[in-house]
Amino acid sequence: MPPDGPVPTAGSGIAGPGLAAAGQARIGWAERTMPVLGLIRESFAASRPLDGLAVAACLHVTAETAVLVNVLRAAGARVHLAASNPLSTQDDVAAALASWPGVTVSARSGAGRETYYRHIHQALDSAPALVFDDGGDLVNTLHEDRPELLAGVAGGVESTTTGVARLRRMAAAGTLAFPVVAANGAATRRMLDNRYGTGQSALDGILRATNTLLAGKTVVVSGYGPAGTGIAERARGLGAQVVVTETDPVRALDAVMAGFRVLPMAAAAPLGEVFITATGSRDVITPAHLEVMRDGAILANAGHFDVEIDVRGLEKLAVTVNPQIRPSADEYVLADGRRLILLAEGRVVNLVAGEGHPAAVMDVSFTVGALSAVWLTSARPPLPPGVHEVPAETDAQAAGLMLACMGTEIDELTPGQQEYLDSWRYGS
Amino acid sequence: MSAENLPFKVADLSLAEFGRKEIRLAEHEMPGLMAVREEYGRSQPLRGARITGSLHMTVQTAVLIETLVAIGAEVRWCSCNIFSTQDHAAAAVAVGPDGTQDDPRGIPVFAWKGESLPEYWWCTEQALSWPDGAGPNMLLDDGGDATLLVHKGAEYETAGAVPSAAEEDPEEWRVILDLLRASLAEAPGKWTAVAGQVRGVTEETTTGVHRLYEMATAGTLRFPAINVNDSVTKSKFDNKYGCRHSLVDGINRATDVLIGGKVAVVCGYGDVGKGCAESLRGQGARVVVTEIDPICALQAAMDGYQVATIEDMVGQADIFISATGNYGIITADHMAAMKHQAIVGNIGHFDNEIDMAGLARTPGITRINIKPQVDEWVFADGHSVIILSEGRLLNLGNATGHPSFVMSNSFTNQVIAQVELFTKTAEYPLGVHVLPKHLDEKVARLHLDALGVRLTRLSKEQADYIGVPVDGPYKPDHYRY
Repeated sequence: MPPDGPVPTAGSGIAGPGLAAAGQARIGWAERTMPVLGLIRESFAASRPLDGLAVAACLHVTAETAVLVNVLRAAGARVHLAASNPLSTQDDVAAALASWPGVTVSARSGAGRETYYRHIHQALDSAPALVFDDGGDLVNTLHEDRPELLAGVAGGVESTTTGVARLRRMAAAGTLAFPVVAANGAATRRMLDNRYGTGQSALDGILRATNTLLAGKTVVVSGYGPAGTGIAERARGLGAQVVVTETDPVRALDAVMAGFRVLPMAAAAPLGEVFITATGSRDVITPAHLEVMRDGAILANAGHFDVEIDVRGLEKLAVTVNPQIRPSADEYVLADGRRLILLAEGRVVNLVAGEGHPAAVMDVSFTVGALSAVWLTSARPPLPPGVHEVPAETDAQAAGLMLACMGTEIDELTPGQQEYLDSWRYGS
Repeated sequence: MSAENLPFKVADLSLAEFGRKEIRLAEHEMPGLMAVREEYGRSQPLRGARITGSLHMTVQTAVLIETLVAIGAEVRWCSCNIFSTQDHAAAAVAVGPDGTQDDPRGIPVFAWKGESLPEYWWCTEQALSWPDGAGPNMLLDDGGDATLLVHKGAEYETAGAVPSAAEEDPEEWRVILDLLRASLAEAPGKWTAVAGQVRGVTEETTTGVHRLYEMATAGTLRFPAINVNDSVTKSKFDNKYGCRHSLVDGINRATDVLIGGKVAVVCGYGDVGKGCAESLRGQGARVVVTEIDPICALQAAMDGYQVATIEDMVGQADIFISATGNYGIITADHMAAMKHQAIVGNIGHFDNEIDMAGLARTPGITRINIKPQVDEWVFADGHSVIILSEGRLLNLGNATGHPSFVMSNSFTNQVIAQVELFTKTAEYPLGVHVLPKHLDEKVARLHLDALGVRLTRLSKEQADYIGVPVDGPYKPDHYRY
């Protein structure tokens, strides 16, 4: 554990150092629920795989992230953290992190756009050898505004689908200057983070923001990828009638076969009482949809960026806005008196209105990230620039560690079984 | 037809070996009945009981019959439906576990699949007539036909004559009157004597229970009755868990369509509808419920089902299941507006939930039989609907009805009710009774071990805290499970 008590650290831009004790308690709780990272920290503390490296990280500044930061520290890295979303920063956690030796933090909840990017620059000031990104803003800023630092970067880890999509476009355009591991693609992460994590925490955020009863409600879930699937399943489990919207016919078919009603958004808009976007795309809910929605409809986004619901369009449509009718809930009154409730300003609801993923989910997600970072920095010859998948061994290692922490034992293939599986000689 | 004093009458005794194999499998799945045999095998509480049973002569019923015999009863049996007998089960019961085809040593059973109405009532009379001229002293009824014959016989004997049937009376009523007329001529006073010595009847179904309450209200009931139908361990199993199992089974056997991804409409959200909706959803169908009762409709909505009217859904759904207990639910007009090859089936008790007569009257319609119990009805415009079991209970017509485990719950109630009425006759005055709560709980308890259930036991302090005995009953009578 890092020592308690504030240690002034140059470059920190946090809301209040006085919150450190509360943040430390919160991190302590998260640590107890993240046993896999605990195992890795012990092993990294012995092997020091990132010894002396500067890490710039743009992540949600939450208690779970703090546990990852501690693992990176144990591995020997210095960590310079900026917030990947101005609304998700837990100021007490930021204060606690800022008090740790070898860590700088630039993050304040509610920061505006300008401060947000200043914080990213502050993290980059460390001239990082390794970057951790969540959405691609840090990597993008690095390439756009700080090209002089690119040569020193050995590689990066990107956690989100959105960020990976940006990186792939950069790689395709030939501009990505270093190798990045797409940690979002790991099977363990996709399963736990997107499906089970977002599935649970998006609903948690909506419930905290609205206290609405989901049983009997029509819930429209946009996108039936892993996150949308998890959300749809859990909403059904709470008794909601779930309608799915999709653009991908394969996913749409999957939703239909799972017994969900699949409709175009134009048809779903007048039916829904709760809308949850989880597409990774933009303009999923547009003014044309907003115009036909029921009075009291709740709008929430579980996708990474705030572009899935056309918030500006909603603002234009509204004659009155009653901000913060509840924490994280703004009421938009339309000309005919109908009220639409936008949660978390259209930003990722599970982080803004809830507490993000349960720690156990981030445990595996960050485990994949930490293991990937070590794999990337230790690869010989070094990996070429571009987007790299998490190796299957790393995935299996993360899953195995999590199973071990849960006390679940599994079978091992016998040599005979392995031979059978490897052979093409056996037939019917 | 007059009594011929046959020892039994079944379709084909050579089916006995197959029947016995199925009975042996069923015994394992009917742990409640087997536990009763164990518990009462030594004390023989039904010694002296002469039971006439009128209940679908199936493999599961065979296990019931042999349980009654194992705890001391003398039994005669008939089926309570002209189509429901499983001939191999009837044969096995006639041969008995210790007999052979050449030397049958089972019980007198009068039942075969496809009886005519006169044959059906002859079978009922045979089951009520012991060779020594005596009658039963206990009835075990399903739908109330045995009870009806005894009551009507006694009533007409008192009146001195059997009335003539009226013009509008159904054919079955004429058959009953003809039988009783012959009986009065041959053995006047027979039914009065039977009614006098019967200690009570245990009734299996809603329909039969309804008749009993009517008789009790009218003051014509001649012996006490136990309403087995309303035991929790009977109604939940029969209605909810049984239909949850056999609905999808029936649809699969009939059509083999992939249920996942389909839109299925379930009409009615009572216990049967709840089981049906759950099973269809479990297969990946999107289930839409129709209801007339606001409470059931709200329940469906809170369970996450879309609730709509059948008119809303008629052109959109792929599967329609009626489970209301009412009639005229799916009309010919509805079916005419359905998607091509929509599947239509009924799981409610009677065959009038789907308007089959109206469908047949539709101008230009043709019926193509695909296989037994599966018909494609083609409308004049070329589109068609698939009707299961001619609108009768599809879980019985297209599948094999309730599985043994479900029937074990029903029938354990029956056996316990028989023991109660026979051994504690004085505690059950004339009227209709439900089994006391502790016996309902006992039936449940007898099925726990087979499922590997580990029950927690109340401490004395806990029991006192909520004001119940440690060994139950745990709930007040009005508790809704």
